[in-house]
Amino acid sequence: MIEAIGERTTAIETRQLTRAYGERLAVDRLDLRIRQGEVFGFLGPNGAGKTTTLRMLLGLIAPTSGSAVVAGGSPGSAESLDQVGAMIEQPGFYPYLSGAENLRLMAAYSRVEPQRVAAVLDQVDLGDRAGDKFSAYSQGMKQRLGLAAALLKDPVVLILDEPSNGLNPAGMAEMRTLIRSLADEGRTVLLSSHLLGEIEQICDRIGVIREGQLVAEGTVAELRGDELLSVVATPFDAAWNYLLSRQDLEIVDTADGAIQLRTDRARTASITRGLVEAGFDVTELTWRRQTLEDVFLDLTNRVEAA
Amino acid sequence: MLRTTLAETRLLAKRPGTWILLGIWTLMATMFGYVIPHVSRNKAAGLSGIRDLLPDQVTTTALSGFPFFGGVMVLILAVMTFGGDYGWNVVKTLLTQRSSRMAVFASKSLALAIWLLPFVATAMVASIGASEIVASAQNAPGDLQSVGTLLKGALAAWLILAVWATLGVLLATVTRGTSFAIGLGILYGLVIEGLLSAFFDGISTLEPLLNGLIRTNGYSLMAPLGNIREIARDNGPGSFSGPYVGGWQALTVLVAYLALFTGISAAIFRRRDVN
Repeated sequence: MIEAIGERTTAIETRQLTRAYGERLAVDRLDLRIRQGEVFGFLGPNGAGKTTTLRMLLGLIAPTSGSAVVAGGSPGSAESLDQVGAMIEQPGFYPYLSGAENLRLMAAYSRVEPQRVAAVLDQVDLGDRAGDKFSAYSQGMKQRLGLAAALLKDPVVLILDEPSNGLNPAGMAEMRTLIRSLADEGRTVLLSSHLLGEIEQICDRIGVIREGQLVAEGTVAELRGDELLSVVATPFDAAWNYLLSRQDLEIVDTADGAIQLRTDRARTASITRGLVEAGFDVTELTWRRQTLEDVFLDLTNRVEAA
Repeated sequence: MLRTTLAETRLLAKRPGTWILLGIWTLMATMFGYVIPHVSRNKAAGLSGIRDLLPDQVTTTALSGFPFFGGVMVLILAVMTFGGDYGWNVVKTLLTQRSSRMAVFASKSLALAIWLLPFVATAMVASIGASEIVASAQNAPGDLQSVGTLLKGALAAWLILAVWATLGVLLATVTRGTSFAIGLGILYGLVIEGLLSAFFDGISTLEPLLNGLIRTNGYSLMAPLGNIREIARDNGPGSFSGPYVGGWQALTVLVAYLALFTGISAAIFRRRDVN
């Protein structure tokens, strides 16, 4: 298991972190707190500011204003980099060197023993192809080598930017399993992605970024909200008035001819019976919860409309 | 730092481009220093016509290509060393390891400095070999210059190459790539160092400018080691006929260039965003 970073409970924290390119704000007063040991999904459409944020957290680019603390140090400082492993977008390595040779160079810069190279290559299942040139690697192998480089220091915090980029479905599933297993060892993982399924399956909490601003933050369950009862009954207006008159439910929304209700699941039979006894034709009655995609589109469209 | 420097030195050894440049440079040094002059000169003049091709003049003749052709070769090597990291996106991988940006910059720079040694050594060894062949063919004495003179020449050659290499590092760091940096470097070498110095030599108002060129100071640094003025003047496409400055002035200017180019490159490397 990975040792915690001292007594801290926050692995990554940003305060009003901002990065401007001319007039355009790529990241806009971002306040983010990622707890020790959690897998935090950083979700957003292309160009939302995810990669810019991650680069700032690693000290690759400087913020215009605001500050950040990563693993107890300022981004890019020796104190921070000591405990952080990262893979930003496409992994960059020397094409004329083998995977192992590339990692041996990175091991020198990471001040870890060269023997660690074989261990991380095995960890990402590249041990058999360690001697092949990087240029001969498939996209999936390149991504795994990038992850191996991030693991060289046995870091407490992992920052991964689109780790499944360019992978086929099997490769994506492997990557998910690998990331989850790394998190289960006690590491904090900040995972940036626009793949909602990946985020939903791996992450403990999610932050949604849009136009550089954090527009939502919470667990998947919190973001998806309550389960709602969707009722399709005719005549619609009369059914709506009937349901409005009941005290044991709350009408949340109407969409596509369905009335969305928040109520206790145990009341389903009572509501169905009430509608039928009142003379309505009930054609559909389903318990539904918003998908993460619904939430994501809703959040990003809402900001766009505003 | 030692471990990362050695790792970067090995990295350059694994790069095919390093050996290609080293091979081309050694070939050029021998061709322009010995083969072409030997073939083209009037044989009727006897030994006096090939005096500079004999072993007792090897330091000056071997070094005659360093301030220009050799310089351009190591400029390309330096651009490859630093610019390639941007092109292959390796720079972000390097900078997210444990070492500071300055440690990465220093390791790469030191590895490059180490790799300048074979560029000096191969050209000098090839030149010694060529001069001995000439001496043997002409039944001339095969005695080399003193070890001290050879070492001074090697040091001067290394310094000249180092200045060109740091210019390459600067161009690669500024442009964050290889192609444009190599283009700019060759353009500078040919137009500023080559053509301008040839066209404007003798125009007194431009003398301070010409006196500041790398080539002027490179040849001036070698002048005390032998008859470089005569050799460089007849050195084919890389010929140089002056101006010359004093040896100490040349040394000072070259060291100043070295410090300036390295300092600017290091400052940019340390501060600039890596996108």
